[in-house]
Amino acid sequence: MIRPKIITFICIVGYLSVVFTFPQVFSPQIKKLGVLMPAIYGILVAANFIACVGLWYFKQWGVQLYLISVFAKTLFYLLANQMGFGFYFNIIASLIFIIILLRFYPKMNPNL
Amino acid sequence: MLWVLFKESLLFAWQSLIANKLRSFLSLLGITIGIFAIILVFTIVDGLESNIRGSIQSLGNNVVYIQKWPWDFGPDYPWWKYINRPVPQYYELDELQKRCKSTEAIAYRMGKRRTLKYKSNSIQNAVVAGISHDFYKIKSFDLTAGRYFTQNETDAGYHLALIGASIAEGLFPNEDPIGKEIKISGHKALVIGVIKKEGESLLGVSFDYQVITPFNFARFFLDPKSENADPIIYAKAKPNVSNAEMMAELTGILRGIRKLKPMGEPNFALNETSLISKGFDSLFDIIGTAGWIIGGFSILVGGFGIANIMFVSVKERTNLIGIQKSLGAKNFFILVQFLGESVMLSTIGGFFGLLVTYIITILGKDAIDMDISLTGTNIILGFTISILIGIISGFIPAYSASQLDPVEAIRSN
Repeated sequence: MIRPKIITFICIVGYLSVVFTFPQVFSPQIKKLGVLMPAIYGILVAANFIACVGLWYFKQWGVQLYLISVFAKTLFYLLANQMGFGFYFNIIASLIFIIILLRFYPKMNPNL
Repeated sequence: MLWVLFKESLLFAWQSLIANKLRSFLSLLGITIGIFAIILVFTIVDGLESNIRGSIQSLGNNVVYIQKWPWDFGPDYPWWKYINRPVPQYYELDELQKRCKSTEAIAYRMGKRRTLKYKSNSIQNAVVAGISHDFYKIKSFDLTAGRYFTQNETDAGYHLALIGASIAEGLFPNEDPIGKEIKISGHKALVIGVIKKEGESLLGVSFDYQVITPFNFARFFLDPKSENADPIIYAKAKPNVSNAEMMAELTGILRGIRKLKPMGEPNFALNETSLISKGFDSLFDIIGTAGWIIGGFSILVGGFGIANIMFVSVKERTNLIGIQKSLGAKNFFILVQFLGESVMLSTIGGFFGLLVTYIITILGKDAIDMDISLTGTNIILGFTISILIGIISGFIPAYSASQLDPVEAIRSN
């Protein structure tokens, strides 16, 4: 099945967000949180990126990984006590995207 | 089974890197430069920060400096308000010692640059300080030889001196300084102790280039009423007393000593080391952010380089992918093979970046005599960024390779 335009939009937003959040991995703010925090945050950014690739190929594992990465990222921000405007904006945007993705989930390819 | 598959894919990736040595070298160069740039900046910032914070720490967290000028680092320093203030006087120290209950120790210090002589050796512009007896309770320093002044010696102003390690090396290159007489601006002083070497300090508070003498002796060559002698009264709080409590008491006593009106402006400043820390906090934030931006762009460019090489690699080996798949290779095998290649490239690049940074810190340490070292945190950060950039830049080419149709792949040129 051809990828719907709304999924393409979500993927492009996801790729752009990776470009902007990737430099945060080694930002002084994240570094201050702890020795392993940049590594943990980096894994979350990479997971988010891989999920977007999966969505681009219209794969079910893309949605699953997207859900996990959003949940883990929210947990990270909560534990690190980093709850600014961006945090709430991210949650709302991610929730909207998840609802859209779940609508298309049954039509997606279940293979790797 | 999965592990064997994984191992075999990584072996394929390694063979491919070895087969294209120049291409591999050029693509990992981008990551090397990126990691080198970002980790070097972080290492230098960390080194500077720990050095400055160490120097501030040595000034004492629970010590308040009673001075004429307040420590302020803003651009609109109202110097005209402070210019006519009197400098702290020695008699004020006696009054404070008698009346203040919240302090563990109070000491006085003045100092100025003077010429020192011993036989034919001389040192110009050495800092000569005149101190009250309790100075050692405020500023901690160790002696490598000799002893500190006794209470009687400081009160009576005996012509004695404690000298810093660098002063001892300069004046007494082949002799033991203890018991020798040096001349401070023409006044003889007996050396009774040598202060342990402290090394360079970015705040310039090292004892290495200082000579410490009793206040009543220092009055012969330093004017305590002159601002040039930079007189300071130090007050150290008792263990369970906060700086704020001590400052409130000091303010009340000093206002009484100086006979200030109840609502009048104080004509003294109570300075804390936390003021210096705050001044440096914003500076380090700016340097850290600048390094982050510069390094971030270098890494991003390196990542694009690896992604480009990986796309070329997939295109070049499309036939091979087709053959592997037709022989039963799973998508996962192809994915790990190309992803492994990209992660290997960037990790090796990151390793070399860290190695170059390490070599530079070793060379820099000798050149600038400052403790700059590659910390474990920065090594972890360097490898994290390398692996991450390898995954992000290699995933799309690797995944597209894994999705190729075997028949189409074998047919392609």
